[in-house]
Formats: sequence, C-alpha cells, structure tokens
Amino acid sequence: MTEEKLEKPTIEDFSREITRMLGGETITYCYQCGTCASSCPVAKTTDRYNPRQIIRMALLGQRYEVLNGDSIWLCASCYNCQERCPQKVEIADVIYALRNMAIREGNIPALYAEFANGLMSEGRLAPISKFLEKKRSDYGLPPLKPTGVEALKKIFSATGFDKIFFKKGEQP
Amino acid sequence: MEEAKVGVFLSDCGGQISKILDFEALAEFVKKVDGVTFVARSSEFWRGQGLKTITDAVKSGKINRAVVAENVPKISEIVIAKAVEEAGLNPHLVEVLDLKDHCAWPHRDAPSEATEKAKAMLLAAIEKAKLLEPIDKAEFPTVKSVLVIGGGIAGMQAAEDLAEMGFQVHLIEKEPFLGGLAAKAGRFFPTDDCAICIQSPTVDLKTVTHTSRKCVYRSGFSEIPNLNVLTNSKVVKVEGVPGNFKVTLERRPRYVSEEKCVACDLCTSVCPVEVPDDYNAKLSTRKAIYVNKPLVYPAAYVIDEKACKFHECAKCVEVCPAKAIDLDQKTEYVTLNVGSIIVATGFREYNPNVIKEYHYSEYPDVITHLELARMLDAFGPTKGMIVKPSNGKPAKRIVFVQCVGSRDRRWNPYCSSICCMISLKHATLIKTAHPDADVTICYIDIRTTGREHEYYYEKARELGVKFVKGRPAEILHDPATNTLIVEVEDELLRRLLELETDLVVLATAMVPSEETKKLAEILGLELDQDGFFKEYNAKLRPTETKRRGIFLCGGATFPKDAPTASLHAHSAAVKAAKFIMQGKIVKDLKTAVVNEDYCGNCQFCPVTCPYGAITLEPKENKHFVAHVSELLCEGCGICVGTCPVGAIELRHLKQDQIAAQMRALLSVNGTPKPLILAISCSECGNAAVDSSGMAMMNYPANVRVLRVPCTGIVQVRHILEAFKAGAQGVMVVGCKPDGCHYEVGSQKAKKKVELAKMLLNAYGIEPERLEMFNLVYIEGDKFAEAAKNMTEKVEKLGVLQLA
Repeated sequence: MTEEKLEKPTIEDFSREITRMLGGETITYCYQCGTCASSCPVAKTTDRYNPRQIIRMALLGQRYEVLNGDSIWLCASCYNCQERCPQKVEIADVIYALRNMAIREGNIPALYAEFANGLMSEGRLAPISKFLEKKRSDYGLPPLKPTGVEALKKIFSATGFDKIFFKKGEQP
Repeated sequence: MEEAKVGVFLSDCGGQISKILDFEALAEFVKKVDGVTFVARSSEFWRGQGLKTITDAVKSGKINRAVVAENVPKISEIVIAKAVEEAGLNPHLVEVLDLKDHCAWPHRDAPSEATEKAKAMLLAAIEKAKLLEPIDKAEFPTVKSVLVIGGGIAGMQAAEDLAEMGFQVHLIEKEPFLGGLAAKAGRFFPTDDCAICIQSPTVDLKTVTHTSRKCVYRSGFSEIPNLNVLTNSKVVKVEGVPGNFKVTLERRPRYVSEEKCVACDLCTSVCPVEVPDDYNAKLSTRKAIYVNKPLVYPAAYVIDEKACKFHECAKCVEVCPAKAIDLDQKTEYVTLNVGSIIVATGFREYNPNVIKEYHYSEYPDVITHLELARMLDAFGPTKGMIVKPSNGKPAKRIVFVQCVGSRDRRWNPYCSSICCMISLKHATLIKTAHPDADVTICYIDIRTTGREHEYYYEKARELGVKFVKGRPAEILHDPATNTLIVEVEDELLRRLLELETDLVVLATAMVPSEETKKLAEILGLELDQDGFFKEYNAKLRPTETKRRGIFLCGGATFPKDAPTASLHAHSAAVKAAKFIMQGKIVKDLKTAVVNEDYCGNCQFCPVTCPYGAITLEPKENKHFVAHVSELLCEGCGICVGTCPVGAIELRHLKQDQIAAQMRALLSVNGTPKPLILAISCSECGNAAVDSSGMAMMNYPANVRVLRVPCTGIVQVRHILEAFKAGAQGVMVVGCKPDGCHYEVGSQKAKKKVELAKMLLNAYGIEPERLEMFNLVYIEGDKFAEAAKNMTEKVEKLGVLQLA
C-alpha cells in the first residue's frame, strides 16, 4: 500500500458507512492497540490477514482496498479478538459488515459464490457426496432428506438475497 | 412598614450614554413616578461625589430605597450596597440597573426607542424597589478544627499545613501505619528520591530551612503541635452542618501502646505465627506482631488480629520490656467536632485477575508494579533483587505490559495517567543497576506529559530499554523451561512476536481506594463515572465539593503523581482553612422562606433542591412542612419554581416583585416592534446580555430583560403572566444545561418551557412565541442574534390576541 493509493476524501464517509451497518457500529472505538492481531490464529499463519490493519485502513477511508482485497474473507470467526478487545470493538462483526458491503458491490469470492449456488440449487451450503452418504449409513444414521429449496427461494427473493448474489440473470 | 421613598440616581457614564439616551426626558419621567422622592444625575454614582450624593440622601432621610442606573453594575452594586449600609440603610433596599450595556449601546442606532426602553427599565427598578424588604445577616459558628481522612502523601501534607497554621487537625488512617501508597512505592519520579520523603515541618527546629526534607519517621511530623494522628481508624458517621460537623470514628485496636512501645523487636523474635506479608505484596512473610519497614509512623508495633492467637500464646506479652502489649484492647468509637473535612483517601492498584489472558495470580512470575516496587526496595522482600517469584532465581528478562485494565472499556475506560511513568522509572532503575538485563515495554501510547517526564523516556532508550508498540494478547507459560511467553504484535514492523521472558510486570489501572463508595455515602459526596470523588468544578474549584466544608485532595479524585498530589493537598488545606478561619460564617439571608400555612406533605422542593437545604419537618396530625436551612440555602429559587402551591418564596425576589417588574417592563414600548420579555438568569444568561452590550452588538429595543437569580425559579404561570402583561414573545435565557451555576436550574427551566409551550398551544397561542436559550458570557453575539430572530419570528406571527 503506497501513499498515492490513499483514497480521498472518503475517510469520514467510509467509517460512517460502516458504523451504520449491522455489526459495524463499534469500529470507531479502535485505538490500534494490536490485541486483535496478536490474538488472531489466522494472522499467525499468514501475512495476508491482520484485523488491526483492516480496521486501520477502513478508518482511513481506503474503501476500495478493503472491499476488493481478499483480506476480509480470511477471518475464521473465532471471536478471540472480539473477546479481548479493550475498546469493545466488535471486530469479527465489523468484518462481517465489511463482507456484506463487499458482496453488495459484487465482490464475491468464488468459494462464497459456490455456497450460494449450493443453497439455491440444493438448499445446502455443501453438496452431499457419495462418501458422506456412505459414512452416514456406516454410523447407522438415516440418509439426508432433500431440503425445501422452494421455501428457501421464497426467502431469498423476499430478502433480496438472490438479487445481491446473482446479478445479470446468473441464477443457476 | 414605613412608606417607600425612592431615590433615583442616573449616571450618564461621563456623558457617553447621554449622547444616546435623553436624560432630561428620563429625569422628567421618573420624577412623576409614584413614590419617587429624590432624583439626581451625575457622571458616576459608585465613587466620589456621586456616591456621597446617595449616602447623603440616605442620611438625611429623604430616601429609604435607592435605584441606581450605573454602568458597571457588577462592581458598583457591591460598592453602593456597602456605602448605603454604612449610611444606615439595609443594603438590600438598593436596586442597580445597567442603562449602558442593556440599553444605550445595543440600541444606539435608535436613540428614541432606547430612551423609551430606559424608561421602562427605570420604572421596573422603581416598582421593584418599592416592594423590597430589608434582609438581615446571620452568623453560623465554625469550629477551628479539621479532619483529614487518609494518611498518604496528600493527607499528611494537608494535615501539616493546617496544623502549622494553628488549626486543630485530626489525621486518620485506616491502616496501622501512615504513608499510604508512597511508603510502598520506594522511589518517585521525577525526583527519583525516596517516596516517603516529606517536607520538614517547622516544628523540627534544628533543620528548618527552605531546602529541608526528611523521611516521615524522622521528620518530627507527629510532634507538630495541634496534630492528632489516629491510625487503624475510619469514619463511620458524619452529622451536623458545614463548619460544625460531628464525626464518629471507629478505631480498631492496635494491641500495642504507641506511647510505651520502644520498637525493640523482641516480640517478633518470640512470635510463633508466620503469615504472608501483605505490605510486601506477599513476596515474603512476617510475624503476627510486626512493624512495616521502612519505618514510617507510628514507630510502634501492631498485632494482626486475623493471625494472632492472643491469650493462647501471649509470648510477646511476656518478653515485652516496656509492658506495651495489651491483648484485651477493644474497638473504640471516637467522636470529633470539626469545622471542615479533607478527603485524601487516595487510590489503589486494580487487581488484574479479571483479564484472564494475562494469568495474573495463576502464573507467579506475572506481577504488578507495586510488587516490583517492593522487590526494588532494599528493605523489601528480596533486598532489592529482581527475582522470579516462582523459584526465587534472578530475573534477567523483564517485559512490562502497559494499560492493564485501564483504557479498557470492559474494566476502567480512563487512562490512569501515571503508569507509563512508573514503567519508565522502574525500567531505568533496573537497567541502571543491571545493564545486562533485557527490558521490554509493550505499550499502546507512551504518555509522559509532566515536567521532566519525557527525559525518562529518553533515558530509558539510551539505557537500551526496548519498546514494542502493541498490546499483548496473551501471556503463556512454558513449564519445561519455567519461562513466560508474551504474544504481541509489533505494529510498527507489522510482525507478530513471541517474547520469551522471566518476569512480566503488569502496569495495572489505578482505581479508587476500597470503601470509597461507602465513605461517599457517609459524607454525602458524589462520585464521578469512574468511581472517584467528584470535585465541585474541575477548573475553578478543584478541591471543593458540592457539600460546603468538605474538601478533596490527592488520588481520591483521580490517580496522581506525587508532585500533583502535593499541590492538590496544599490547595485543599488553604480552602479548608479559609472556610473556618473566621470562627463563623457570615451570610446575608438571601434564602428561601416557607409559608407554613400553604405548605404541606409534598416532597417536591426537598427532592429538587440541589444543595440538600430543604428537609421536611413534622407538625401536628402527621402533617409535614418544608424547612429551609439558612446555612445551606444558596438562594437560587429552584424550589420556588417547583412548588405547586406557591408556598415558598425568595426573600430577595418575591413573587410580587417579579410581577411588578414584568408589568413595568412591558408598560412602555416606544418601538414599532412587538414587545418581547427575556427572563434571564443572573449568571451566564445575564453575562451574555452584558457582553452583547459591551461589544456594542445591535438588537432591537423591544427586547426587555427581567433578571432572576436562576432560570430554575421560572414557573409556567410567569410565562403566561408575561403574555397577559403584553409580551408578544418570551425568551428564557439560562446557563448551559450542564453548566448551570445552580446545578439543575437550567434543565428545570427547559422542562417548564416545554410544558408552557404545550399549554400555549392548547390556549391557541403559537408555541413559537416562547423559546429557551442556553448562553454563556462569550456568546453575546448569540444573544443579539436570538433577540433579532425572535423579534422577526414574532413579527411574522402577528399581534397576539388574548381573549
């Protein structure tokens, strides 16, 4: 991230926009102590994710970089950071808020698009493999019943989920 | 009552305002007013010949009321009142008004309109003066004695100041020894001297020079005449009134006579009981009979009640050569009569137990600053060595963690203000003694705002102390090596670090002393949002409280370093002395009075009074009436504004005086614009009116100001009466809601205005004709603007038609 890339003049606008999102209300409390980053199991394994830095960038108004990067999608939602934050920033929820903003702008990572497809077509996030079916019967569990996809579709259209996820008639 | 003979004195401000106002017309006008017996004109009336004119008129008996139009009313009011009092007239029979700032200057563009307004203002003052009644003075005795609660650095300094000023001082301490936190802290920044060093009292004749300072134990502190030190004591009850408090103390037994003990230490050598030493942060043990070291005061041993086996053992009694030990001592209750009270109860370290990820009290090598201070003390449990409490081996690697439980919205949201400096002090002490030690400070922000404080930071860097910007997430323990691992992000490198260390020192929050809340209840004091004692006004009255006669100092109000605590203590001592030094409080009885015929059984005024001055007193047949304490009443009139039956009134502004002024102010218009009455408080509200005039800001002359002590006195009926008397609009001008000089008056007024607006609406009067404004002195421009806007708004609404 270089200085030229600092977008102007959205500093206030972007952080305000986030505080209006569900889960994003507490972002402005952050005083950059780094407790979240050093608590984070993901940050321990990769340089690509640092919750403190995401919040920093968001507060400085780097909207494009935050919403288009892959960083926000790496949170594992363990809530360690949120538990320990001395300023009660709901960090994991802020990340969710950012993800929602990203999705509304069409920035959907392939994996999440797959999840959505699965929901729309089979009513499940993950497809049921032969392997899984066998395992279930090995354990004496009944086979999984098909889910009510029609009901889900109604919910998606009522909430606008389908429109957010499937632009330009991409529906499966 | 004798018939009112009003003298009117018109000052033209050295000819300045007579250029605008027609003084001839004004003099002619007032001469015709009923009750006016004397009219004089001069360039000033508050000094020299002008003042003599007033006093001569009083002495000759021509007048028994004076209305003075003077242009520096705030000062002239005081001077004139004093002069007429000397001339034999009650000073409360004088009414001073300001024709310059409230009339001539803001309306200088419209001289004839200004003159008409001046007539209305003079008429209002005359009508009020005719109704004025003499107000007496009352005296309330004050006891020249002070109670200082808390024997730490602040309490000791305040007690010493007061005792040497000649007051009887009782210094009480809940622990068995004086010294407070200072005795444990070892060294203080920024002087690096012993924490228990105090200025030598003048009683120490051999060493009294400007430069002398001494350890408490050899300072002769206890020998200061008039100083009574009571350890093991706490306040359990406070009764009485400011200047004359009756305080009950509970004094726990020491079991060792302070007078007889020779501190020979024979008792500890025979005592069989050994317990962890709280004073040394439990890093060592002590006997059940003990004395703290370094010695502070008193130089007498004490028995730990919880540990001692008393008569089962009694070995100490046998060996004591001074026969100083009495195992049958009982708790005593002592009653003191004091004029003022100083609260110096200090602060304490927060227990960082609550922050689970730091594992304090689980891992022995995670300690707090106070524990480290005990280690650094050569008298302490480790004789000055820095060791791992887990195994007693020297600690070579030390990590400090800042902001533990402070700046943390989960526990204590505030910055404890001194912990950065404590860490820097300890880090430099360690690095100086052990240059090979590996010292790291993990911080969020380093705050070194005091004099010479930044040099500590500089010195620490020079000595090789490492600084990591980042708050650690967790402290882990490796049992194989018995080392600690601090997980922290170095934000500047953007790298996650795992610092291996022997010892972790937590810079914990500083929080109010235990039992602060209880003491606040006993004393009737308020606490702030963080639980510290709240001062009356942070800027102007930093050592005073809402309860007169009770003062605060030191860490009881917020964590402080020693220089600040010291400064605060000396300030509190002066305030406490000032309060009682005359032996009496002399007060004009400008207070509220209750008409017992109307008053009864309602709780409104006792609850509303911000000063707790009103109580309910039982009368016959389970009937209660309000009783006003003349000492505590501040004369604001908030009770008047609250009373639903008009049973309470101010001596210095009765209802008929308000009504008479209102009618007079609205009797003459003289402008083409609609009359607007501005009811302003005497504090910020009137100051804003003053400043708009002083700065010659223009606003129309149809705006007439009625001054009341506080807008809290305003009743809905006052507003309705104003409309009835001819006002087309009403402004209520008070202090800022959180800056009201009488605490809640401005907020109460706001509610009354809202209520009145609803009523106006119901009567078919546009509620926009009424507005509340909250202004301060520097907002004179806003008053002028408000007056203009209000006039325009009311003009648009048209003439008010009252059925």
